[in-house]
Amino acid sequence: MSSNGAITPSSLSVKDLLWQVHWSKDRCTLCGRCAAVCPVHAIELGVHRLRSVQTPLGLVNSPSNSYQVYYGIRQKTDPAYGCIGCGMCNLVCPNDAIMPFKGDETDKLKFHINRGGQPRKRGGRRNVPEGVLDRIKFMRISMLTDPALDAGRHEFELRTLLGRVLPPEENLRLVREQGWIPPVREIYPLIIGSMSFGALSPNMWEGLQMGVAYLNEELGMPVCMATGEGGCPPRLLRSRFLKYTILQIASGYFGWDEIIHALPEMKEDPAAIEIKYGQGAKPGDGGLLMWYKVNKLIAAIRGVPPGVSLPSPPTHQTKYSIEEAVAKMIQSMYMAWGFRVPVYPKISGTSTALAVLNNLTRNPYAAGLAIDGEDGGTGAAFNISMNHMGHPIASNIRDCYLNLVKLGKQNEIPIFAGGGVGKNGNLAANAAALIMLGASGVQVGKYMMQAAAGCLGSESDRCNVCNIGLCPKGITSQDPRLYRRLDPEKVAERVVDVFLSFDTELKKIVAPLGRSTSLPIGMSDALGIDDYNAAERLQIKYVV
Amino acid sequence: MENNNQCCQIHGVENGHRIESRILEERIQKAVADGHRNLEVNAFGHHGIGGRLWSAGNEPVYVKVLGSSGQRTGSMGFPNTRIEVMGPTSDDIGWLNAGAEITVHGNATNGAANAMAQGKVYIDGNIGARGMTMTKHNPRFGAPELWVRGTVGDYFAEFMAGGIAVICGFEGQDPENVLGYRPCVGMVGGRIYFRGPHMGFSQADAKLAPISDADWEWLTSNLKLFLDRIGRAELFETFSKRDEWQMLLARTPAEKGGKTRRSMDGFRHDVWDAELGRGGLIGDLVDFDRSPVPVITSGFMRRFIPVWENHKYAAPCEASCPTGIPVQERWKLVREGRVEEALDLALAYTPFPATICGYLCPNLCMQGCSRGQVSMAPVDVTKLGKASIDAKLPELPPADGKRVAVIGAGPAGISVAWQLRQKGHDPVLYDMQGKLGGKISAAIPSSRIPVDVLQSELERIQKVIPRVNLQQKLSRDDIEQLKMDFDFIVIASGAQKPRMIPIPGKERLVTALDFLRASKLDAAKVGKRVVIIGAGNVGCDAASEAHRLGAEDITLIDIQEPASFGKERKEAEAAGAKFRWPVFTKAVTAEGVELKTGEVIPADTVILSIGDAPELDFVPESVVVERGFVRVDDFQRTSDPQIFAIGDAVKPGLLTDAIGAGRKAAQTIDDIATGKALQQRLRKVIDYSRVKLEYFDPRFVEFGSVAECGSQCSSCGSCRDCGVCSTICPRGAISKRETNGSFELVVDEDKCIGCGFCAGACPCGIWTLIENEPIG
Repeated sequence: MSSNGAITPSSLSVKDLLWQVHWSKDRCTLCGRCAAVCPVHAIELGVHRLRSVQTPLGLVNSPSNSYQVYYGIRQKTDPAYGCIGCGMCNLVCPNDAIMPFKGDETDKLKFHINRGGQPRKRGGRRNVPEGVLDRIKFMRISMLTDPALDAGRHEFELRTLLGRVLPPEENLRLVREQGWIPPVREIYPLIIGSMSFGALSPNMWEGLQMGVAYLNEELGMPVCMATGEGGCPPRLLRSRFLKYTILQIASGYFGWDEIIHALPEMKEDPAAIEIKYGQGAKPGDGGLLMWYKVNKLIAAIRGVPPGVSLPSPPTHQTKYSIEEAVAKMIQSMYMAWGFRVPVYPKISGTSTALAVLNNLTRNPYAAGLAIDGEDGGTGAAFNISMNHMGHPIASNIRDCYLNLVKLGKQNEIPIFAGGGVGKNGNLAANAAALIMLGASGVQVGKYMMQAAAGCLGSESDRCNVCNIGLCPKGITSQDPRLYRRLDPEKVAERVVDVFLSFDTELKKIVAPLGRSTSLPIGMSDALGIDDYNAAERLQIKYVV
Repeated sequence: MENNNQCCQIHGVENGHRIESRILEERIQKAVADGHRNLEVNAFGHHGIGGRLWSAGNEPVYVKVLGSSGQRTGSMGFPNTRIEVMGPTSDDIGWLNAGAEITVHGNATNGAANAMAQGKVYIDGNIGARGMTMTKHNPRFGAPELWVRGTVGDYFAEFMAGGIAVICGFEGQDPENVLGYRPCVGMVGGRIYFRGPHMGFSQADAKLAPISDADWEWLTSNLKLFLDRIGRAELFETFSKRDEWQMLLARTPAEKGGKTRRSMDGFRHDVWDAELGRGGLIGDLVDFDRSPVPVITSGFMRRFIPVWENHKYAAPCEASCPTGIPVQERWKLVREGRVEEALDLALAYTPFPATICGYLCPNLCMQGCSRGQVSMAPVDVTKLGKASIDAKLPELPPADGKRVAVIGAGPAGISVAWQLRQKGHDPVLYDMQGKLGGKISAAIPSSRIPVDVLQSELERIQKVIPRVNLQQKLSRDDIEQLKMDFDFIVIASGAQKPRMIPIPGKERLVTALDFLRASKLDAAKVGKRVVIIGAGNVGCDAASEAHRLGAEDITLIDIQEPASFGKERKEAEAAGAKFRWPVFTKAVTAEGVELKTGEVIPADTVILSIGDAPELDFVPESVVVERGFVRVDDFQRTSDPQIFAIGDAVKPGLLTDAIGAGRKAAQTIDDIATGKALQQRLRKVIDYSRVKLEYFDPRFVEFGSVAECGSQCSSCGSCRDCGVCSTICPRGAISKRETNGSFELVVDEDKCIGCGFCAGACPCGIWTLIENEPIG
């Protein structure tokens, strides 16, 4: 019921909303599917009164009024029910009678989405479509200058190393002296980045893991997936599939006692251990899994009672300095698996990354460094953190790599890049650009959600409700009514599709560069960009 | 021609110097143009020897190559040409061959027969990498052939698109692998016969096929020719063992499409679940089904379920009425044609349905009416109120409950006694006045309440409450006595003491209460000019009465904007009363009212109407009095557990407030008497947004009859059984279930998808959509 024009400062009209639902009376059959599927109740059945005045020509009779009632789909304007533009209404509409469209001006909801003094929180992405990675070109094309390779007919070994690679003389010395040599894994350079069991639904998580297992066991691609913070299902810990898994430990340490208890029963070592110090989407901020999301399943995996809120603090409590904290974390994690598993820290993109890296170069146990740039996604973060905090990945990786070059250690400590890789769908191009800027591999999260599970998010503030458990595709929800929409097998199939097509695309990039048996890590002479300043900053060629 | 058969010798070295390939080519072409058909070329690494000899037309040309042939010998060869290289040859032998027959008596290096389209290349030795690559078979001509006595190098037959290769594997470079490393990648046509072991080929592009009799016949007959050309006829025996030969064919596009990988379904079952256990990753942790469901679900898998919340919430009218009359239920009875029951229903809530609802009440129910939220006229309850004069009393239970003394027989006292009697208790009313009804009878002008209406209701009240003691001014001692004689006492003595202002000349003032009481008895007198200090509703009543009694110039003054409203204000205005504010009285004189400004408003009569206060000297010490009012809790209990208080003695209010307080006190007493826990019985009011008024005519402003009123009521919170929900439901999931005289609307959960259309359409706001019970 519209009020009598009494308004509050936050009274909005449909025009003020970012997403405006267009509904066609002519085509609607009132089947109810759109209203049933809308994750946020942004639409409802509306009762409408239509008035028509009959005035006879020539005024031969008295004019009269008649009213008619009709029903239609109406959009709510209360900020609590703002349309998120997911378009599920359109997906289920048999007649294409309903569709959300983006408003043509600044979203007014933005100014009012802080009721009770609570600033907006959301999941998803930064919603900035532009990025330097998409603009980087690969322009060192070998036709006659190098062996011209053919992505289709040549055999490629697109593998990367995860682990501390010692200089040959050092390695030989240790072999001779039967000393400890850091474990190194040969893995596929595209890693499924840390998304926790809890942030993702059980079906999504299982689908990703199943796809990874298939890639390893059926197709011989040594693909790894990181667990994210939130533990690891006990069965996975005790299966051979663990060797494809990078276990993450973060400030909340959820699920780690379960992992410790599983140690005696493990058939395989995990691929690696990732120590999370920061996340690109919300650098320097922690997380809180609200109590109502901690159902029995999540609780069992995280090793907590159900129905309690689970804070992941912004920092590890026992962290006092880089030297001390990183070193002791790395030591502890190595020790758990008898120094057989590579351990590396992951930080958010930051102008202080070099300080961390320099420290790691002096620590012979550091197996690598993962950096998550500002375009990284998240299950839940403050809008302000997502939109305005963080460091772009390209220059961060570049600085780190060039620093390693300066130290002569560029082949010794691998750097992994994450955050917005493939955010506009150009996964292989973005990955190759980062590799040639100096990354040994890339981590992707959102891309997998989109490509393997049909996540609706895009760089336009669409959907972005990962944080409230209402994911309409069942990707980030813990509600079986939602996540059962997602078939793990179909997710696994898509994971396989993604990796196979990525593999071909990556070959299409590296083959003309004359590379087939080693990744062109740091091969920046192949890169160019049509932005002079970016070229200067990244120390790549400026091309127009 | 004579020189036809003569051998024309062409030397690649002249005067001790190698001639350029261009010169050698010119000389070969010239020789052929000159009619030579038998050439012997002494090569010194020259390029492309023996190709392009079309100038001979159809006449065969034979080119023998001595020395070291260069790259691409026989390239672009024509069908008339036969080339014989007398030793090993360099790269790309027979490159882009278009028909020549080329024999090499030795090994050939990389790229043998690359891009060959017709003709034959016979190699008496091994070949290097990338042999037979990119070859084609043009249907206009015969298929090109490459014959190799030994083995081939790596990447053999890449992108082979046609033709036949025969690899004999005899005394080859790599006896363990006659086909080299990764043969047949990108092969789309042609066939390869080979003899001997291989180390794999591109399964995606080629396949092994059985050699048919026709194939074998072709192979053996052409094998003879090959061996004859390379001069190794003795090998025929060795090569004639059919079971030593294998054949590779290019896969057809259709066959390539059907690349076989294990299905994910199979992987899940045979690998994934086999390793992890039944139910996969978390099969040990959950006991519910995780199989896929559609987006639109019904039954247990619905995210939301509709709930029919009939009578759960109070309609805004009911909630706005301090008396608590469920007005919407009365209109429902009216719609059902049960008008008498609608009238009678009021008596369960108020002893004055006509006097108050019909006349004296500002009708808070109408102010609260949902219709008012969208500028529609509220349903007119005064019509129902006025008609309630005819309401019939319910049958009263025997008065064998508690004995309750009610002090004050005004609206509050009557209300509590009325309710107590209906609950089977035995109330006794005490009042110091000579008449029942308190201020309604004594002070409210008859212009506002017709005497017969009031009289009629008072008579009905007396039937219910026969025990009334009038003209009984009680003292504190009397109350102590009553406490002994009765189970409970209710103080309902109202506000009887007009407030005064301490100004000079205050003795000239007449209080409004005195004035109205006298006026009601027609015993009041006023001058022509009247000033009323205090412009509230009582002041307005005084103004109207003064006008009736002959006053001509009436002024109401107030220190602030007057609080008067409604009928009282309108009547005062109709009487020509002027309202002035803010003005401050300094004194009352013979001339009139002197203001602090010095101005004098002339007046013959000055009436003071700034409210009345309770007179509580009779109240025992056990009852706490605060700022002149009896202190009560939410249940109308005073600090003395035996004593209750209601009405203006507690807080100044409207008549309906007094009636409501009486009801509440009676309920409390009854609960205590029957040993029930005390509880607030108020239902939460329904949210306006749940009520849909689009079903009603917005231009409907004048209600003609009680029936018309009923038709325009949206019946907020109470189902009007209109059938809208069961009709709008897209799945036909809603039906009506009748149970002994009443009904409910029920949802078939197997049909319902939880769209909430029922809630969206319901005019009364009965349906709501709630989250389904969580799983897991």
